[in-house]
Amino acid sequence: METAPSGSPATSALDIDSLVSTETGHIDRRIYSDPEIFELEIERIFGRAWLFLCHESQIPEPGDFFESVMGRDNVLVVRQKDGGIKGLLNTCMHRGNAVCRAEEGNAKSFLCTYHGWSYGIDGALTGVPGYRDFYGSELDRTKIHLREVAQIANFKGFIFGTHDESAPPLEEYLGATGRLGLNLLAARGDLEVVPGIQKFVIDCNWKFALDNLFDWYHPQVTHASAFQSGAIAGRPARAATRNEGAMDMTGVVMESGDDLGVPVGEITGRPFDQVVVLGEYGHAIGGPTRSSPGNVELNHSWRDQPGVAETLGPIGIDVAGHPSIFPTTWITTTSQLSLRIPRGPSETEIWWFTFVDRKASPEFRRFIVGLANRIFGPAGVLEQDDGENWAQSTMQTHGAASREIPNLINMGLGRGQIIKEHGLARIESTTNEHAQLWTYRSWARWMQGLDWADLGEQTTPGDSI
Amino acid sequence: MVRQFEVERFYYEEAALLDAHRYEEWLALFSEDTYYFMPIRRTRMRRELDKEFTQPGEMAFFDDTKAQLASRVGKLATGRSWSEDPPSRTRHLITNIRVVQDNGEELDVESNFHLYRTRLKSEEDSWIGSRKDTLRRVEGSFQIARRTIFLEQTVLLSRNLSNFF
Repeated sequence: METAPSGSPATSALDIDSLVSTETGHIDRRIYSDPEIFELEIERIFGRAWLFLCHESQIPEPGDFFESVMGRDNVLVVRQKDGGIKGLLNTCMHRGNAVCRAEEGNAKSFLCTYHGWSYGIDGALTGVPGYRDFYGSELDRTKIHLREVAQIANFKGFIFGTHDESAPPLEEYLGATGRLGLNLLAARGDLEVVPGIQKFVIDCNWKFALDNLFDWYHPQVTHASAFQSGAIAGRPARAATRNEGAMDMTGVVMESGDDLGVPVGEITGRPFDQVVVLGEYGHAIGGPTRSSPGNVELNHSWRDQPGVAETLGPIGIDVAGHPSIFPTTWITTTSQLSLRIPRGPSETEIWWFTFVDRKASPEFRRFIVGLANRIFGPAGVLEQDDGENWAQSTMQTHGAASREIPNLINMGLGRGQIIKEHGLARIESTTNEHAQLWTYRSWARWMQGLDWADLGEQTTPGDSI
Repeated sequence: MVRQFEVERFYYEEAALLDAHRYEEWLALFSEDTYYFMPIRRTRMRRELDKEFTQPGEMAFFDDTKAQLASRVGKLATGRSWSEDPPSRTRHLITNIRVVQDNGEELDVESNFHLYRTRLKSEEDSWIGSRKDTLRRVEGSFQIARRTIFLEQTVLLSRNLSNFF
């Protein structure tokens, strides 16, 4: 698809540059609820970016399908007879009705239940009721085919698609940062998705769910109850000990006037324990290093397996933070991948995919599945409290006075010195908001509708942030 | 008839404890070896309906042992469990209670529920579904030795599941 010129009415009315300031770290709250901005995101971000669709292990046999989402398009990802994978828009070429109403399964064909047009699993039109009698055999059935996603590609089993046929190849789009992000999951073995994708709806803007993924400032407060009660480990908490460099909670009191009493020792580490990696097109990784006391990765024995150090590289081997593949893909240290799917300015669908090595022991599989079920998802002892924040933050952007207050992404502003080594741009720091600011800065470049060359150039990290 | 009455009374008492936020007492209704499971449901074609729900060992919304249930109760008691502070207002309606098997020591019981929740000023959730329980006879009453909760939703239409079913 052609990209809109930067002088179109939508941009001139909006003045994208005024919405995100990298000088002050001020973010205009209108970007979280303005319907016009949301429509522009659907066109300029979700109409162009490579988006994660599913993992190849979910559709092993010919005819296996999984319905995924690209912007507002429903896409059937289908295993072909020759082992290949196609992405087909789930809309009949006749009148648009969906040709498949199941979320996943196996199909011999796709039938439109409106007039009975049917398609092979490759999308070819195979049947038109009344072809001879009503159409007089004048319909060229060979030219009618379920519309294929413009490009589809597989990176180590992770299937991505883009609506833009002029988009750079997936590996180039991912760049070193995006590839590292996916490798931090792929290097854990011969992966398969554990059956069951958690899906739920939060009444929030998708960008609140996005910028939270490398927010290492919030767990101590948002998730205080989960840490304090031992709910993450699923066992009673041990007494917290205060670590060197733990977050200073001085003066933080509750409505009752009591000290918040956050068990800081459980989850924080020394200063300079975080590494942030910034990449082209808005990808980023942020969080603790492997050796930092703030590392929350509960099992990193996989990093010592043969070949992993080479795959991750000298910087990547020490990254234990959270990668984000712009715009909506988050890879966790818990061997999971989450999508933040925009459904409307104030509505986001969260999906969770959980991965395990096919050769893992039954005990290790139980550990991964149990942890995933316990901490994330709507009942997750961590995520149930996140949604409350994002929904309330979204709600307050509707007030005429409240929305005039900028959101602040200014922690460590200007202090992020970017080190370029081994093909990666990184910042070594204490807890910071560099990755969030990088995400919003890149978001603004996407929203300007730049061509791919300019977009790549203008989302290339400089010397500092 | 007496058995049906005992089971119904047990469930009504349980629902009352939850709606009154008396979670410690609710937790005590579960056996030490209990398993509390809410599978994920998926829209499937009728011919594949046997794959509609995930199974234990797969992904789920709740997948808890007694210790994990206890830590959830402990989380609510911290006063810092923001999704439940201020607390939600809930009402559990339990109906269609059927004892489907009774071997003397344990009963398999199926029931339907409607959990209605309001939260803060304007939030409203409603979950309807069924439960399959194994109730163990203990000292003139029951303990819940196993509970599986089946929701009538696939994509969960709520921002969280911070309540018990």
